[in-house]
Amino acid sequence: MAEFKELPADAPAGAKLMNWFENRFPTMFDAYRVHMAEYYAPKNFNFWYIFGSLAMLVLVIQIVTGIFLVMHYKPDAALAFASVEYIMRDVPWGWLIRYMHSTGASAFFVVVYLHMFRGLIYGSYRKPRELVWIFGCAIFLVLMAEAFMGYLLPWGQMSYWGAQVIVNLFSAIPFIGPDLALLIRGDYVVGDATLNRFFSFHVIAVPLVLLGLVTAHLLALHDVGSNNPDGVEIKSGPKGNRWSASAPADGVPFHPYYTVHDIFAVSVFLLVFSAIVFFAPEFGGYFLEYNNFIPADPLKTPSHIAPVWYFTPFYSMLRAITSEMMYVLIGCTVLGALLGVTKCKSSLFRAAVLAATALAVALMLSIDAKFWGVLVMGGAVVILFFLPWLDNSPVRSIRYRPSWHKYVYGLFVINFVVLAYLGVQPPSPVGERVSQVGTLFYFGFFLLMPWWSRMGQPLAVPSRVNFAAH
Amino acid sequence: MKQLIYGFILSLSMLGAAQAATEGIPWDKAPVNTSELGSLQNGAKLFVNYCLNCHSAAYMRYNRLQDIGLTNEQIKANLLFTTDKVGDTMKAAIDPKEAKGWFGANPPDLSVIARSRAGHGGTGADYLYTFLRSFHPDDTKATGWNNLAFPNVGMPHALWELQGKRQPVYETRQEHGHEVKLFKGWEQVSPGSMTSSQYDQAVGDLVNYLQWMGEPAQNTRFRIGVWVMVFLLIFAGIAWRLNASFWKDVK
Amino acid sequence: MSDTLSEKNEIDSSKRTWLIATGCAGTVGGVAVAIPFVSNFQPSEKAKAAGAAVEVDIAGLKPGEKLTVEWRGKPVWIIRRTSDQLDSLKKTEALLADPDSKRNPSDLTPEYARNQHRSIKPEVLVAVGICSHLGCSPIDKFQSGAQPSLPDDWLGGFLCPCHGSTFDMAGRVFRNKPAPDNLEVPPHMYLSDSKLLIGEDKKA
Repeated sequence: MAEFKELPADAPAGAKLMNWFENRFPTMFDAYRVHMAEYYAPKNFNFWYIFGSLAMLVLVIQIVTGIFLVMHYKPDAALAFASVEYIMRDVPWGWLIRYMHSTGASAFFVVVYLHMFRGLIYGSYRKPRELVWIFGCAIFLVLMAEAFMGYLLPWGQMSYWGAQVIVNLFSAIPFIGPDLALLIRGDYVVGDATLNRFFSFHVIAVPLVLLGLVTAHLLALHDVGSNNPDGVEIKSGPKGNRWSASAPADGVPFHPYYTVHDIFAVSVFLLVFSAIVFFAPEFGGYFLEYNNFIPADPLKTPSHIAPVWYFTPFYSMLRAITSEMMYVLIGCTVLGALLGVTKCKSSLFRAAVLAATALAVALMLSIDAKFWGVLVMGGAVVILFFLPWLDNSPVRSIRYRPSWHKYVYGLFVINFVVLAYLGVQPPSPVGERVSQVGTLFYFGFFLLMPWWSRMGQPLAVPSRVNFAAH
Repeated sequence: MKQLIYGFILSLSMLGAAQAATEGIPWDKAPVNTSELGSLQNGAKLFVNYCLNCHSAAYMRYNRLQDIGLTNEQIKANLLFTTDKVGDTMKAAIDPKEAKGWFGANPPDLSVIARSRAGHGGTGADYLYTFLRSFHPDDTKATGWNNLAFPNVGMPHALWELQGKRQPVYETRQEHGHEVKLFKGWEQVSPGSMTSSQYDQAVGDLVNYLQWMGEPAQNTRFRIGVWVMVFLLIFAGIAWRLNASFWKDVK
Repeated sequence: MSDTLSEKNEIDSSKRTWLIATGCAGTVGGVAVAIPFVSNFQPSEKAKAAGAAVEVDIAGLKPGEKLTVEWRGKPVWIIRRTSDQLDSLKKTEALLADPDSKRNPSDLTPEYARNQHRSIKPEVLVAVGICSHLGCSPIDKFQSGAQPSLPDDWLGGFLCPCHGSTFDMAGRVFRNKPAPDNLEVPPHMYLSDSKLLIGEDKKA
């Protein structure tokens, strides 16, 4: 009580009320200062920096619409499909809430992929922000699980068969696979048991994990401060700005400058989002797949089955690993081993590398390509976690990298989009070859990054951020 | 005169290149307009009279037909079977097990059929419009009917009394060294109660109704969407100026 | 840091203008967004259909007989009262808590039932069979005379088994009983002499 701040008796009622709270719950006020009013973000944020806030907005949209959907949805294999149509037709405004949730799911991935791309090009994953990046990769992984489980809930043909295929992926793991798949499904095939547990995970378990990870992601970021398009640490620069003598000179308080900026960005996002929700909620069959308007039939697989668009790049990689491709992968492993052996002097290390390679090749020859496909697909996501340690460039942001690096990143994007497109199409011989090349490029981009990122002559990095007054 | 009519029908139904037997013919464009209440009402009547005997529309409530301009009294008088109430959903009279025995498969529910049948060939409505106009007699099938848009379908031609019987006309050609059967058009074998264009119109109405029934909220959705866009455009403009008013200070 | 006073005022007023504009537009938008979500709580078409009015044919209902139908999940009694039962309504008046159905008339007693027999046709009573105390369904006690839990001068009516409230043959509650109100008379109308529609009346 001794530390309580007292206001004079004639202070306005509002101030007194605030003071009452501040005396008893200073954490809330400190949090506001640390994370909003006195969080100094670089003043040169550009368009790429909006996607983090948008991701948070979409998370809120999904949670709120989800809460209202759960009031009417029935998580029972016999009732689920009908309950979704009940929401669409009989529940007041149910159709709007349903479309917001389905569009939000796809919007989440658009926003998150763009957000990750920003991290990639501006080197936001580099020291001291490696942990921010790792939390982010964990969010991405959890988001994929959340979307996958949510997609089973409407219990349409795509829901059912998509879940059947993905759960069967787990059965490809040697020894424990089939038992693991049985454990996930809760039955011998995807059924009511699976639906109920996916419902529980999708509605409460995974969202809680997601909220925890997002909080960790933001707190870790605020601890070290944000990066910016120039990759210049504003905390290393001069101190003192209009608002505080000790804050970085090139920083502006997040509130009000970026809150106001985000309001504008949110309104533009909502324009696009609403256009889709109101005028094209199916989005050509990509956001709401046509086959999913057929109730699940365990006895009949649809002729053309593909995962939802946001999984297709990874699905392409899965499909690309055929028994032929295994030989290519063995070749790459051997090449990698040779590289490792020639670069390293220690004979112990050399011996270890050779032994590991021999083991890997033996495994690749004996275990089916099916398993390696699963491993490659998983590996494509897991490799992202290692990015901070793969990037050896002396320069953080793409703006100051050798200009040909820009083409490498451009190619990476094109490759990713091509893989996504191929994943949507039914398999074809040409498609198979292209996705095999695409898979190699994807992994090559990351695995060879310690070398290619060092190559070329970087441009001079400025000491202060580039900012043009608005 | 007959030649002229047949020729006219043939040329109207001229469809493109060779097709594989399993895929079915390319789809015609369905004349859908879900704000034409007259068409929707006619389609509802056709649906109740010809489709509901075997197919359910279990998610469609009879009293929802008020959205297409019918009153509850009109619905009760013209579109309800005697045992149904106007607040009930459209359930088929048929027993699903018996249906499976007769047709090989339970006739699917049609509530969202127009949404589920979309594909590369066009919208679900395009498929349905083509399907309902592509039946032809086929002695090798249990029902006596086959369909060019859905080969080996288990469904008989429910609307045959209106359309009559037509047979497809093929032309064999040599392509890439082997024979290919090209679909050239239709030949009316026995007439129905409607002329070809009347039948096309009726099917157009029925498909229009199926399209509407797939998502009764669609017209509302579009209307509200326009207002939402107007509001958001204004709001974005205000937010843009708000942003500018703050960032003016930042040097 | 050497802004002139006028510059400062300019900046502030432009910020203020746009803040107010954004605030107003945001409020309008917020209300517009809230409407679908709040309406989402309303009964769905399925609930409304299930709660729709019920048609009952009372042609076969003999004097002294009671028919029970379900409306909105509640039991609705239809009783064709005998002349003795109708006579009893005058005699019970003195013992009733609310003989003229003056309490909560908008909830319990529609206009056409604000009379001694609490019905449109004197002999046919239509009432919701749920005790106004805590919701149990009272039992028929049409026989007059002394019986367990009933007074010696009992003329016929209903006894609620849960806490002992009693009602007369017009569903009116007796004094000094736990139940405060008469039985609810639901909105109803006659489609014909023998067809009753429960749940809707001519006003609706």
